[in-house]
Amino acid sequence: MSIATMPGTEPTVVLAQPSRQGWWRRFRRRPPAVIGLAGVVIVVLVAVFAPFLAHYSPIVSQFGHVLEGPFSPGHILGTDELGRDELSRLIYGSQATLEVGVLATLLAMAVAIPIGIAAGYYRGAMDMIAMRITDVVLAFPFLLIAVGLAAIFGPSLQNVILALGIAQLPGSVRIARAEAMALREQDFVQAAIVTGVKDRVILFRHLFPNMLSPLLVQASVSIPAAILGSALLSYLGLGVQPPTPSWGNMLASAQTYLYNDPWIAIFPGVAIFLTTLSFNLLGDGLRDLFDPSMR
Amino acid sequence: MRAYLLRRAGISLLTLIIASIVVFLGVRAVPGSPATALTGNTNFSPAALAAINRAYGLDNPLPVQYVDWVGQVVTGHLGSSPVTGMPVTTELGNAFPITLELTVLSMVIALLLGIPTGILAAIRRGRSADYASNAAALFGLSIPSFWFGIMLILLLAVVLKWLPASGFVSFSVNPGQNLAHIIMPAFVLGTGVAAVLMRQTRSGMLETLRQDYVRTARAKGLSEWVVILKHSLRNSLVTVATVIGLQFGILLSGVAVTEEVFGLPGIGQLTINAVFQRDYPTIQAVALLTAVIVIVINLLMDFVYMVLSPKVRLAGEPG
Repeated sequence: MSIATMPGTEPTVVLAQPSRQGWWRRFRRRPPAVIGLAGVVIVVLVAVFAPFLAHYSPIVSQFGHVLEGPFSPGHILGTDELGRDELSRLIYGSQATLEVGVLATLLAMAVAIPIGIAAGYYRGAMDMIAMRITDVVLAFPFLLIAVGLAAIFGPSLQNVILALGIAQLPGSVRIARAEAMALREQDFVQAAIVTGVKDRVILFRHLFPNMLSPLLVQASVSIPAAILGSALLSYLGLGVQPPTPSWGNMLASAQTYLYNDPWIAIFPGVAIFLTTLSFNLLGDGLRDLFDPSMR
Repeated sequence: MRAYLLRRAGISLLTLIIASIVVFLGVRAVPGSPATALTGNTNFSPAALAAINRAYGLDNPLPVQYVDWVGQVVTGHLGSSPVTGMPVTTELGNAFPITLELTVLSMVIALLLGIPTGILAAIRRGRSADYASNAAALFGLSIPSFWFGIMLILLLAVVLKWLPASGFVSFSVNPGQNLAHIIMPAFVLGTGVAAVLMRQTRSGMLETLRQDYVRTARAKGLSEWVVILKHSLRNSLVTVATVIGLQFGILLSGVAVTEEVFGLPGIGQLTINAVFQRDYPTIQAVALLTAVIVIVINLLMDFVYMVLSPKVRLAGEPG
């Protein structure tokens, strides 16, 4: 490798290619991770194909069929307090849940990665500013950020995504920063600096591609955290607004009927639990692959 | 060492100032005039609006308003709730002990569950105790705390009728009743934090058990328990302390929803009600109080970190 004459992306390409196949082979040998991946794929498919899977509208009430128990005719999981099919509402509820989890994480990553890389690479004042931003965000629990946004703009799905995205900034900034600091000392980056490669090229062609693994692990931890957070906010009435179903707001309305009709409180919780469990299993599997020391 | 302490304290103070500016500007970003937000009244004649703006100092430039506001906060004047008419400090004073009791009890439960299972998993690595603790931690991380709460109410209050489903009795009125009301929510919150502590303790212990000084301690013929508790655990707790600080902020979000599920009239329920009633002085006070608590706890954890970690103690820099 003639790094001095070709300070491009060569080390990345050389490292990435042979490991990619072994990657999947090693991943496959971890049953919990494979189960997690399967669970994630199923939830995504359910959300995408919800209109084809659900037999009933998740919104239209049928007052002749209020609070029917599980296994009642035509409603395998029963109906809720407005006579809506519980299974159809669970199926449609996956859409809002996944949307929040994925978009909040993407938002956090899109903002955090440039800040973290610049902080770790340039250090000094840039680093000081980035760290104070993360300290301030950490000083406010995500619920308070969501409360603030809801107070200023009113409760909505967009504000939930924004609040959870902001709450996840510190974790992602710190990971990108730590990686940038470590990579900066590596020979191929030092060589690029010495040979006068532009900073922009170093940041995005040398540093960024080499920190994808830890960032992917961070994302796999962020998504379930955001899903739990959005369920919590919906439960409190700050998230997805009825009649649009989300697993969190289904639980909120179900608690009123806990004494006589507990099943409508059980199913949405099981759905949240299985979804976050799948993402956590997948995340643990990915972390074991990329960072064996954490095992 | 003193330089490190002073630097951390300075950074905390700076963070606190920025956080207070965020809170201050947040209430002024609310739709409508700040006079509306602070008094809860929407129908003002121009003369009345001017009078209120003068009374609250809202006709001054923003930096002057900020300094005035900080002065009021420091002397304990947080305004009155436009909904209840009570001073916000009184409302916080009523709600805070409940939240404090809930938080402290759940942290105790988290430490009692999380750290011993973490140690057990690390020293029995790859055996059934390790797998069982890991599975329990994964369960604790994935289960939505408020749903876990609802399920416990269903089991322990509705079906078995062992514990009350909701409400609160003060410790001074009836200690037994107080514990009966608070144990379920504290357990719900504690298990979530215990899961994180268990994982952190386990990976920290695995890391330190590999180190040369642990091998040296064993070679010296020290008993296994001394090696585990004194040499390995003590050093693993350095990272655990940092995690406890970070978890505290997350715990405070969980506290709010848990209070809502169990009908506990703490800070969380106060905040949720304040949002739906557009009670901005209360929201502002809670936001500031929370930021102060989180920043102070993280500063304390920095001190604990320093006491526990010889690297920091000697070099004056975190490792």
